[in-house]
Amino acid sequence: MNKINSNKKFTISRYANIIFIVIAFLILAIFYLAPTPDGLSHSGQVMIGILLMAAILWITEPIPLAVTGLLIMIIQPIMHVLPPQEVFSSFGNQAIFFLVGAFIIAGAIEKHGLHRRIALRFLSQFEKSPRLFTFGIMSSCAFLSFVMPEHGVAALFLPIVVSILIAMKITPRQSNFGKISMLSVAYGCSIGSLGTLVGGARNPLTIGVLSDLTPPINVTFFDWVIYSMPVVFISLPIVWLILQFSFPIEIKDISAAKKEIKNQVNKAGKMSKKETIVLIILIITILLWVFFSSHQYFGLAVIAILGSILLFLTRTINWNDVEKRVPWGIILLYGGAITLGIGIQKTGAGSWIVNSLFHSVGINTYIVVLVIIILTILLTNIMSNIGAVAIMLPIGIAIATEIPGISPLLASMIIALSGGLAFMLVIATPGNAITYSSGYFSTKDLFKAGSLSNIACVMVIFFVATTYWMGILGI
Amino acid sequence: MFKNILVPISSEYYSKDVLERTAFLAEKFKSNINLIYIIEEKVLNQTDKLSNGFRTSDEIAETKKDIIREKRLTADNIVFDDAKYFFKRKNIPFKEKITEGEFSNIIKRETSKKDYNLILMGFEKECFLNYRLLDELDIPIWIQSKSEGKSILSVCSNLAPNVKVPDLSIKLSKLLNWDLNMLYVVDIEDSVQVDKNGKRSDKKPERDLLFTGQNFVEEMEKKGINVKLVTGSLEKVTLKAAEEISPNLIIVGREQKKKGILGLPIKHLKRKLAEKCKYSLLFVN
Repeated sequence: MNKINSNKKFTISRYANIIFIVIAFLILAIFYLAPTPDGLSHSGQVMIGILLMAAILWITEPIPLAVTGLLIMIIQPIMHVLPPQEVFSSFGNQAIFFLVGAFIIAGAIEKHGLHRRIALRFLSQFEKSPRLFTFGIMSSCAFLSFVMPEHGVAALFLPIVVSILIAMKITPRQSNFGKISMLSVAYGCSIGSLGTLVGGARNPLTIGVLSDLTPPINVTFFDWVIYSMPVVFISLPIVWLILQFSFPIEIKDISAAKKEIKNQVNKAGKMSKKETIVLIILIITILLWVFFSSHQYFGLAVIAILGSILLFLTRTINWNDVEKRVPWGIILLYGGAITLGIGIQKTGAGSWIVNSLFHSVGINTYIVVLVIIILTILLTNIMSNIGAVAIMLPIGIAIATEIPGISPLLASMIIALSGGLAFMLVIATPGNAITYSSGYFSTKDLFKAGSLSNIACVMVIFFVATTYWMGILGI
Repeated sequence: MFKNILVPISSEYYSKDVLERTAFLAEKFKSNINLIYIIEEKVLNQTDKLSNGFRTSDEIAETKKDIIREKRLTADNIVFDDAKYFFKRKNIPFKEKITEGEFSNIIKRETSKKDYNLILMGFEKECFLNYRLLDELDIPIWIQSKSEGKSILSVCSNLAPNVKVPDLSIKLSKLLNWDLNMLYVVDIEDSVQVDKNGKRSDKKPERDLLFTGQNFVEEMEKKGINVKLVTGSLEKVTLKAAEEISPNLIIVGREQKKKGILGLPIKHLKRKLAEKCKYSLLFVN
């Protein structure tokens, strides 16, 4: 009976990637050829062009993020902005090796299923009511994101939570409990990733950029925790409350969830010897990070690599696992992101952008802080977190040099933490995409809860920045 | 009338109302049901693409496997369980399967393999459906929404051939025992007359269009059907009438839209109705 009337398709989407690449290079060419305005060097103008090109490529992603990172690196010597030695020396930054070590440790945790065991143990403490259970999901995700990358945590929790929801016969999209449970995974991971240098890859990028400044600013693992934890502990319950108000839970009985968690705990069995070794090495590494990561001791990277080598020595991980579980693309992206910061700073492009941006707004410190937070959050919602932070950091640091009352550390912390709060769109972060794939919430649900949560988090970061960081810690 | 019903359910959207309505129709028309749960490729690809760079290909593959496994579990434990509840107790024969792919493509593939008389699906704005499908298939497509009542709003116009819609509306109204409200809309924003073969005429004066409309009304009156002749934008008039009548079902035919640059339709009535209308829709091509 069926006859298909037409198979013609309008294929503009097929050419979209080429169009984005052409636009990105066209902008760079315009900045290279256009007359230079007063107060800006030609190198600075080209650097702004590179920044915009990177922004377009990171937002639209016609090529992988890492390749954009490489492009940023090679285009600077080609256009005589920075010499190749300086560009490639960014790979010597210890943040990069910290990241390599952290990924290897996370790989070992994943390989032996330690993360699953911790997650289930944590979740089983919150089985009293549906509301508490959703808080349990959120805080478990946040807690695990302190010790491993947030995207890995989201991927871990997806099957755990979906199995529980299926066992409870919760229908996708129709149930508020289902919506809150999955959104708690996404938001819990994002908020938790702010807490330590391990959770979000943008955090080591930030300390990497700071350590490359003249004079360098060194942030230890412990310093980061001290700075960021108030944001985590204030945001977590607020976002959870927003979810509760946005989607009132319709169920009362949680017994099926209890049963399923028990079932999964039984399936996991007893802790294996190798799992125990990984746990011990993880604890040692974290303790070393907390107490000995400052410059007079070992530094972050040495401890991370030490932890990874211990894993090899105890045969809990092998090189195959490393190849399987370390996303080398991020390391390449880092090189690009760090040189972008150096280029913007050295050519004076950052100062020029800041002067132009804040000329009309004025230099009220509080307004500037608020503008940085809002801009970063908006940007991180439409592009990868790391890309947003990479673009905003040089601007933030330039703001710090131009506007009194704002230090480079303060501006960087604001950007790094705001950059992790991508709540509104599926494309904003892999965590959102992974949880969205469960089918338990719609893009509309995500936008509704995400926009409210983002507004709340703008206020939280503003409050912490102006009272705790500026007022108490004096950074 | 609807001997074989295809019920595609996207992993992006599931509503029990679809199964309930399918069971209702299948019982009336003694239909066979083919239920397909479609794991949306688009979502899997999107997750892959966004994770790319942050996670290794092995990790991405593991997550993809997890997602597919959980979707299969959802289909088995929730969707097919509900289907058994609705169909088995009424002794309605049905087959179920899970497949991966793009919703609209899977429907096209299925309908090319077997003769279906109806496609019945749920819908949520911003998700899975490629709207071209609504024009490309000549099988009636029923988009089920949560609607109560026992009436049909049948929409004919100067922009449609008005061959299948009146006949199907009359038959359905009799078989289901639902009241029939028929409209003939003279779309003054697109003043052409579409003939029975679906060809658009040149622009015509409003009085000519009204005259053809009046003829249609009289023809229907002979069959004992009262038709309301109205002028205005087809989309707006349909939505307004729907709000007044609160029908259980709106039946819309194959309106021939004005084409813009690159041959793309300027207005997509079916898309607009699917997105804006809270009542169930039956598109008949």
